[in-house]
Amino acid sequence: MARIGVFICHCGTNIAATVDVEAVAAAAREFPNVAFATTYKYMCSEPGQAMIKESIEDYNLDRIVIASCSPRMHELTFRKMLKGTKINPYMLEIANIREQCAWVHTDRAKATEKAIDHVKMAVAKVGKDKPLTTSTIPITKRALVIGGGIAGIQAALDIADAGFDVTIVEKEPSIGGHMVMLDKTFPTMDCSACISTPKMVDAGAHPNITLKTSCEVEKVEGYVGNFEVTIKEKAKYVNHDLCTGCGLCQTKCPTKVPSEFNQGIGTRPAIYIPFAQAVPSKPVIDPTCCLKLTKDKCGICEKVCPLQAINYKDETKYTTEKYGAIVVATGYELVDWAKMYPEYGGGKYADVITGLQFERLVNASGPTEGHIVRPSDGKEPKDVVIVKCVGSRDQNKGKSYCSRACCMYSAKHAHQILDKIPGSNVYIFYMDVRTPGKGYEEFYDNTRADGAQYIRGRVSKIFKEGDKLICKGEDTLLGKQVTVEADMVILATAMEPAANIADVAGKLGISIDSDRWVTEAHPKLRPVETQTGGVFLCGTCQGPKDIPDTVAQAGAAAAKVMALLNHDEMETSPMISSVDQTKCSGCGYCVEVCPYKAISLIQVPGRDGNRKVTKTVADVNSGLCQGCGCCAATCRTGCIDLKGYTNEQILKEVDALCQ
Amino acid sequence: MSVKTNENWEPKILAFCCNWCTYTGADLAGLNRMKYPENVRVIRVPCSSRVNPQFILRAFQKGCDGVLVCGCHPGDCHYATGNYFTRRRFMLMQRLLEYNGIDPKRFQAKWISGSEAAKFRDTVTKVSAEIKALGPNTKFAEPHFTEGGDK
Amino acid sequence: MALSEKDIELKIREEAKKALATGEVSCVIGWTTTRFPDKMKPFFAETEAECDELVWNKYCINGTAKYALDDRYPSKKFAIIARGCDSRAINRMLKDKQLLRENLYIIGVVCDGKENPICEECQHKNPLTYDVLIGEPVPEQIDEKRFAEVEAFEKLSPDEKYEYWAKQYDKCIHCYACRNACPACNCVECYADQYRTGWQGKASDRIQNQVYGLTRAFHVGDRCIECGECERVCPMGLPIMRQTRKMLKDINDLFGDYECGMPDDAMPVLGGYTLADPDEFM
Repeated sequence: MARIGVFICHCGTNIAATVDVEAVAAAAREFPNVAFATTYKYMCSEPGQAMIKESIEDYNLDRIVIASCSPRMHELTFRKMLKGTKINPYMLEIANIREQCAWVHTDRAKATEKAIDHVKMAVAKVGKDKPLTTSTIPITKRALVIGGGIAGIQAALDIADAGFDVTIVEKEPSIGGHMVMLDKTFPTMDCSACISTPKMVDAGAHPNITLKTSCEVEKVEGYVGNFEVTIKEKAKYVNHDLCTGCGLCQTKCPTKVPSEFNQGIGTRPAIYIPFAQAVPSKPVIDPTCCLKLTKDKCGICEKVCPLQAINYKDETKYTTEKYGAIVVATGYELVDWAKMYPEYGGGKYADVITGLQFERLVNASGPTEGHIVRPSDGKEPKDVVIVKCVGSRDQNKGKSYCSRACCMYSAKHAHQILDKIPGSNVYIFYMDVRTPGKGYEEFYDNTRADGAQYIRGRVSKIFKEGDKLICKGEDTLLGKQVTVEADMVILATAMEPAANIADVAGKLGISIDSDRWVTEAHPKLRPVETQTGGVFLCGTCQGPKDIPDTVAQAGAAAAKVMALLNHDEMETSPMISSVDQTKCSGCGYCVEVCPYKAISLIQVPGRDGNRKVTKTVADVNSGLCQGCGCCAATCRTGCIDLKGYTNEQILKEVDALCQ
Repeated sequence: MSVKTNENWEPKILAFCCNWCTYTGADLAGLNRMKYPENVRVIRVPCSSRVNPQFILRAFQKGCDGVLVCGCHPGDCHYATGNYFTRRRFMLMQRLLEYNGIDPKRFQAKWISGSEAAKFRDTVTKVSAEIKALGPNTKFAEPHFTEGGDK
Repeated sequence: MALSEKDIELKIREEAKKALATGEVSCVIGWTTTRFPDKMKPFFAETEAECDELVWNKYCINGTAKYALDDRYPSKKFAIIARGCDSRAINRMLKDKQLLRENLYIIGVVCDGKENPICEECQHKNPLTYDVLIGEPVPEQIDEKRFAEVEAFEKLSPDEKYEYWAKQYDKCIHCYACRNACPACNCVECYADQYRTGWQGKASDRIQNQVYGLTRAFHVGDRCIECGECERVCPMGLPIMRQTRKMLKDINDLFGDYECGMPDDAMPVLGGYTLADPDEFM
């Protein structure tokens, strides 16, 4: 038999003015199993809490109901109070008679009647409360960063500087991402490689950072503090323990394919270090074009390597490691404009290039040593058209979002062309010019002062006439058609998430939106967390952004990781789901509806009559479950239940209301 | 047993409110001293997706005159996706109940965020008035909860 | 050239014997005769001799699939004589993870309809899942009137609807025959049997029966394969499928075309969502 104590708070006159608290106490004394009921001026005050504790002793109570303000206000206060008593902190229910009764009603009789009902429901529920204990889970003090662009590097450096081990997983042979491809960064025009390569070197040399290049996340298991991550390392065909990065192999390789790093402008061999400042600065063999690996011919690199570091028999390797936290920094790709814009030639004109290709073209260490020339004939262009919002802000092309960085880098490109090619003309077709950032508007003003001509409107068609690219568009401010004969066209193509983001998100149990950007836990208040505990995000995987925002976000994500890893263990809420495996049919619908991948089907030994059998049943991972209870409402048998809000408790509440 | 047929009859309305949005919104209504009818009783649940349709049946069975399920707006769920399941469940539930002769006004669902105190007040006021107009639930309640309910 | 009833029967016996002869099959679930010429009963042929007792005629109306659940942990395979409806029932239970495909040997039989009113609405005369098929596949019909009854009923006034169902549930004797026959009712322990949690009262009165009827409709509504077994076995003649069909109709209206028990069956509607789902709760 439960012995329930009911404590009704006056809250000064906040409650007592509208609710007849004594009448509520009198009614409560009549409810089944109520051993004691009283009122007090302020239950949450020191003397109030002392009174409750005394009453627990005096009346030998084993659970209590407090009728007071909202449980969102003081549920925790009273749970803490119970920690010092013989009652388990979860043998407590709060009847909300202030915010949802006294404050919203004026009729004293009716408000009192409602307060009595609230107490009656709480008494019914508390009768079915069970002692719950928080458990602690250990925290593995290591972090995994997925993606080795500037976001991932910055996050890794910050976490590593705090003294925690960090692994960076990067799918390319070098870290660096997109930032290292850029020439100058707006609005300060400092050299992008000059500011990003030291960070790459720092990351490579940091005693707490392990770089795993040419690697991808294969599988993620576990939960916050205890992730088990299987990492797939693609075959490099070069033993990096032996290789010194002398680069002799690269110079001898007979194969030439378009260079990814230079965005297809220029070539690279089959065995290659992606770029001069790569970290690690050691080559890998591209198995799709290596003659030895595709046709079993050649083998020159093996012959020339002074250290016998070449291994054509290298295979994909898998390693599994434990991490306490994961940072998603998978970055962006540019939309495949050639597929989306047949009206711009669909990729058949060599001199219609993307902004990123232009970055390589204008870069002193790029394929043209920084000379702006046309990819088709190597001539210097005089008239250049820049088209903004290619693939972005256009629902017809499937992307309605603004790609954010393009306005500024287009202004930068215009500035660079006007600066490097005397007498050149730059025409920028734009929808709007958006410059929200420190020094951005000033940079845009300067570019216009340089002579860049901004034309408001989209380019509807680009075609070739002789040597020229004819760009037709509408100047919507003048309301007339414009035709520009250009030597080169630069498209400000939109960012989109990494191609495999859906796959990565699926493995991590985090969600992505309709444009495939990773969804943050709360857009305002939890911007670098995901809905899965222990998984954080930063950079352009969350949405288009520029470098300053990316770096700031990476620091924020690192701070969250540090806060987590700083603890040896963490407390988990006991109000989570649990399965009565004797009743479970193992249908797995709870597995499907769980937003946290907290439920899995497992095999357990069981009995069928007098036979020993192996049963398939659902099992809740207490580290992952957040206690939403969706599974409990999905289960037809009712064998998965939410502690603290059990089926039985809610049914009792419903019944109590109606009695 | 309360008197249910005279003019003073007050319906009994049960509202399941998710802890993160609607329950917070209801608290905010209190903080702002908004006024609404006394006949709504709230059961706090962590998420609207916790609400098993059988709870609704039980409420009607035990004599509730109306049931309301409230949660976060789609996309705002504290648990990311819970209310999408709520949405499917209760759109079907409402239709099934209607098909069995229960006015859809007796069972309603609504998205009310933590900041929409006024929407909570307005929803509760409207539902209360609608159910008052419909009169007591005689169709689904156990006989001893209804007055003159035909058995 | 379509096979005659007798040909099919012989083929069934032949396939049944072959299945047993493999040594991997413990019994063949089909039908056999009773003392009434127009009543057949489910039959479990365990020996070659018993296979000759298997029959195929228009009175073989019982669903065969659910019997496979009688032993959830079989040491050998069950062979099941499966018509279109039985194959959908098997798919249902496979999707619900209550059966393992490797524990089944499915002898599919193209069925031309039985002495069972539900067969007039049949959209799947050809078995959808099988290991061996007897008979030539026939063209399928689309049942244009699948939801006609539901649509007509929806037009009644709330009171008329209530009165209709009240009359039905007054008849219900709470025997759970519908549940026992239903291939979608495949839980190890039914919610209704859990008296301690108190989901379902034991009494058989209108209210308790309504609660049971609606709960069951909701439990199976998004997984119902429309085999009609619930109505066939109901001793009181309740139109039970009229409830689940209503669910299916709404699912079709709200979330797109949906038919359960297909081999590529998607997740039941209530176990999933899309962002594009209609919203009425704004």
